[in-house]
Amino acid sequence: MLALTLQIVLNGLTTGLVYVLMALGFTLIFGIMRVVNFAHGELYMVGAFAVTVLNGRLSWPYVPALVCSVILVGLLGSLLERVLFRRVIGNEFNCMILALAVSICLQSLGLIAFGPDEIGAPRPVTGVFHVGPAVIPADRLFVGAMAMLLLVAFYVFLNKTHLGLMMRAVAQDPEVAALHGIRPKLIHTAAFAIGSLLAGAAGALMAPIYTVFPYMGELPMMKAFIVVVLGGLGSLLGAVIGGLLLGIVESGFATMLGSTAAALVAFAVVVATITVRPEGLMGRRS
Amino acid sequence: MRFTSLIAGIIIALAGLPSAFAQDSLKIGVIGPMTGPGAQWGLAAAGGVQIAAKEVNDKGGLKVGDKTYRVEVVPYDEQYKAAVAISAMQRLVNQDGVKFVFGPVSSAGTLAVMDISKDTKTIGITGAYSSKAIDPSNPYMFRVYSVASDFAEPMVKWLKKNLPANATRVAIVNPNDETGWDSDKLLTELYKKYGYTVVAKELYERSVRDYIPILTKILAEKPDLLDVGTAPPASAGLIVRQARELGYKGDIVKIGGSGPRQIIEAAGKDAAEGVINYLPADEQNPAYQRLAADYKTMSGNEMNPLLVNWYDGAYILMAAIQAAGTVSDTDKVRQSFAKALPHKSVLGGTIRLGGKDLYGIDNAFLTTNYIGVIKNGDVVAVGTAD
Repeated sequence: MLALTLQIVLNGLTTGLVYVLMALGFTLIFGIMRVVNFAHGELYMVGAFAVTVLNGRLSWPYVPALVCSVILVGLLGSLLERVLFRRVIGNEFNCMILALAVSICLQSLGLIAFGPDEIGAPRPVTGVFHVGPAVIPADRLFVGAMAMLLLVAFYVFLNKTHLGLMMRAVAQDPEVAALHGIRPKLIHTAAFAIGSLLAGAAGALMAPIYTVFPYMGELPMMKAFIVVVLGGLGSLLGAVIGGLLLGIVESGFATMLGSTAAALVAFAVVVATITVRPEGLMGRRS
Repeated sequence: MRFTSLIAGIIIALAGLPSAFAQDSLKIGVIGPMTGPGAQWGLAAAGGVQIAAKEVNDKGGLKVGDKTYRVEVVPYDEQYKAAVAISAMQRLVNQDGVKFVFGPVSSAGTLAVMDISKDTKTIGITGAYSSKAIDPSNPYMFRVYSVASDFAEPMVKWLKKNLPANATRVAIVNPNDETGWDSDKLLTELYKKYGYTVVAKELYERSVRDYIPILTKILAEKPDLLDVGTAPPASAGLIVRQARELGYKGDIVKIGGSGPRQIIEAAGKDAAEGVINYLPADEQNPAYQRLAADYKTMSGNEMNPLLVNWYDGAYILMAAIQAAGTVSDTDKVRQSFAKALPHKSVLGGTIRLGGKDLYGIDNAFLTTNYIGVIKNGDVVAVGTAD
């Protein structure tokens, strides 16, 4: 029983860290721009395809392929903000519809470029680690470690850098921030790029673990949405707590009662949370 | 005014000319999952019918009675969802005027369109594994290939004969839907019948990609044999890989929906080594390789072995239409399947019409089935499962 519990917790933590990565970008974009970015899952998909093409088809070494894929998705995000979202920022409903349209377009482009088949990405890390009686695949451990590294880097960026300070200022009050010489539009582009970059990183890291296909972003997008509602829309700490909590709860229920029960429980936890605390676990009451 | 009328008359006459000389078309619908999990099976259905239609059209078309028809294929994506299959069927029947439909491929989709097929007398040739897909209450629904209820028992017998005698503990994994429930029930009964102990059974949602939690539970029961049932090939590949990562050393078998190439792609060559598969076709057959090349040219993708069954099925339908001498009277066409079958498969085997003993009506195409083992990233046929 101890071995099973340890295995459940380890499975949950590695899965939860990826949820955190997805949710961080999603909640950052919402926190600063009030955009519910339904195209976040497709940015995950672009990251996965990018690393598959660079590492798998063009035979680049894995690390440069990973870094380039992440940067590529960040650039795509900034382009999307600059060309499309900037025109509708301030109108949450229009932003939501635009995000859905971008999501469908990116999926269709993926379908045209790569077809509907699920393809496998090369696996840079193989083997398993034994943690006491439990087993953890090395590639998942690698993804977990990278996710933690990105989390710390993101925390330092937001709290210790000038750009991070400006982002927080725009998130709190764009008008007052502008009075202090901060250009909110520039911050919006940077926030969208960083949010997209995090989704791209999640996709690029997960590509070798799962299969890669144009609709692969739908499930992680749904998980990111659950996590931010659970943690509090716009709350970064909430995204971390929500992601890890969801990962462990899902892992526990999926192991004991099956994947259908796990999906039900995930939604039940969200419903219960917003019934008791509509602002989420760490969100601020408006 | 007179000049305008003259010009208008000429335009109308010219517009009418092409239709007067054009070949009539025979529309054949295809409903299958073209995207998402199981897309390989839907694309195989569409691909097989399209290749057969192209071959017939290249030879001048399909001669039915005094007329020659150009065969036109109209494919729709069912996304492995019953509701989407219903709207695809309604669109085919009501908007496209289709009388013959290949699919739906999914069991849930097929059961959902049964009433439409029966009420509109539309001939459906399904790929559903569910035993309920063939039913005397709907004589218009046929099945294009043998399914688990036909080949599972020979495969379990083969396992009993070829795997170590002390490998008796079996775990079964299936998708949580009509296809998976049917497979779960059938496999459980068969394994018990042949002296195995079913130590774990799990159903998962098709959207799931992380099988580690359910495998953790399954592997705690220490099975000797893991059957991934009707899991779509890419999902089966991930199950295989994740089971190996968790330290599972026993045999893995897939008695259901074929796709060994996709299993290798998703699992990786090493993890997929030794996986035992049901195969609808022998990949070494020259005709198989010719079809695979045609499909690659047409779609740019690798061919799923099930395409062979849909290709043969398209020729069987066209033969039945010719035997009936009509493209509109589906009662005559459905009765003519008994004349169109037995049919010689492109791979050389014989396809027969049967099913009365199992389903109460002879509406199942009985095809030849093979057992394949993955060796060094390739699939080797090691026997037949008939």
